[in-house]
Amino acid sequence: MIAPHTPEKTFLVRIQRQDGESQPAYWQEFEVPVKPAQNIISVLQYIAANPVTTSGEQVEPVVWDSGCLEEVCGACTMVVDGQVRQSCSCLANEQLAKTGKDHIELTPMTKFPVVRDLFVDRQRMFDNLKKIKGWVPIDGTHDLGPGPTETPEQQEERYAYSRCMTCGCCLEACPQFTKDNEFIGAQAIAQALYFNQHETGKKLKSERLDELSGPGGVADCGNAQNCVKVCPKEIPLTQAIAKVGRQLTVHAVKSFFSSK
Amino acid sequence: MSTANPPKKSPATPLCSLLEKNHFILRRLHSLSGIVPIGLFVCMHLFTNAQMIWGQDSTTGEGTFQHEVDFIHSMPALFIIEWSLWGAIAFHAGLGFWYTFTGKHNVKRYSYADNLRYMLQRITGVIALVFIFLHVATLRWRWDLFGWFTPFYGEGYQAPGVPHAFHDVPMSLPLTAYALQISWLVVLFYLVGVTASVYHWCNGLWTAAISWGLTITTASMKRWGFVCAGLFVALMSFFAASMIGALKFDLGQDMSADQIEVFELIVPESRIPLDVSNRP
Repeated sequence: MIAPHTPEKTFLVRIQRQDGESQPAYWQEFEVPVKPAQNIISVLQYIAANPVTTSGEQVEPVVWDSGCLEEVCGACTMVVDGQVRQSCSCLANEQLAKTGKDHIELTPMTKFPVVRDLFVDRQRMFDNLKKIKGWVPIDGTHDLGPGPTETPEQQEERYAYSRCMTCGCCLEACPQFTKDNEFIGAQAIAQALYFNQHETGKKLKSERLDELSGPGGVADCGNAQNCVKVCPKEIPLTQAIAKVGRQLTVHAVKSFFSSK
Repeated sequence: MSTANPPKKSPATPLCSLLEKNHFILRRLHSLSGIVPIGLFVCMHLFTNAQMIWGQDSTTGEGTFQHEVDFIHSMPALFIIEWSLWGAIAFHAGLGFWYTFTGKHNVKRYSYADNLRYMLQRITGVIALVFIFLHVATLRWRWDLFGWFTPFYGEGYQAPGVPHAFHDVPMSLPLTAYALQISWLVVLFYLVGVTASVYHWCNGLWTAAISWGLTITTASMKRWGFVCAGLFVALMSFFAASMIGALKFDLGQDMSADQIEVFELIVPESRIPLDVSNRP
């Protein structure tokens, strides 16, 4: 018996491609069959297996970055229909229903250099973590005994900041963070607060605040507050910025009267 | 290999390095200069102007607005206040203009209300600067722009051709009313300029509370937002009161006989006919 022929339902995926950092960007369009519960990563996997554009041209498979596939590593962050998000947690059917269009548009993040296609280099974020000394200063050579205790309230607040996965959504949506300025952005500011609030991490607080009061520091924030709205981990980024602002105000007054 | 050192930045100009060294303090002074000298002055200015709504005594020309204006002019060393204000405006506008271009708005992609507020803060800053300049140029320095005749109080009775005997005649309200009644374009110019300036101050007050670390929770930002919105409404109603006061002032009926005489000397060819037929 022959199964009744039903034409496969498809949708279009428009991808902004780029062969390298200084190469020009160009668009390609692919037709992808609709499958239930299919996320953007599986759409990209289908395209990698069938790299033929809608005009019938055989092309190089699209390059993208991904890791955990459960929205905790940040590697697959890209711009889906103009909005930055993790592509692993973006379901194609839901996205099509949300925009009401017959196609999905994928572009790389615009605030970081493109390695290839949808794969960007987010090194600036990790450099910023080094700048703000995003660590607890213990070298692990000898036993320091039990660390200071934290209240449940402190734990609860710091847990929120600990969720940051360095994905870059906050920076992509930030009007003050651009490729050609040195603004440090919400991610690093929130991490500075995270470590300033840690009982042992506090030892580097003054150094962190010195870094954050320089060019590109917290004062460059324009309070557009996009960061907190696009953060997939719902980190209270604007509160972190305000709290570091308070620490900086106190720090500046203290330095005025007591620094050598 | 001799590449152990990281690449050095290109040598900066002295101004750039001065700005970089004092980055934090300049940013905070930028915030402070907008709120305290400029903002507080604008609040006072709008409150004074709002007194126009009470009108004046049509026999003597005395009124609350005139009283306030005389008080301001009686202040000692007024020029120091005036020049400090120009200093604050130049500092705030210069840095603000530069800061504006360190960012790149993206309201199209991220159309949140707060993001729009961010963009408006920058647009209204530029509008306010242009407005303040034109406002002072026409009313204070008596520039004749676009053919508007916008006489200033100080020149009101001291204008050339006004005899000494008239130097005590209060002219603030009639001349302000005349300046605004000439054309709806003037009214529109003030409506846009004042709305932009007041918005810029109120929104600046809201964001400054975050930058200085006063409002450190989402809830407190919201509460402070209501306070700033309240200030916006209050200042805009002062502005509305002054506009109503100036527009409802009847140049023919509400001026005293002395005022009409001085008015005709200062404004020989009034563009608004003075209907003096039913005067008591």
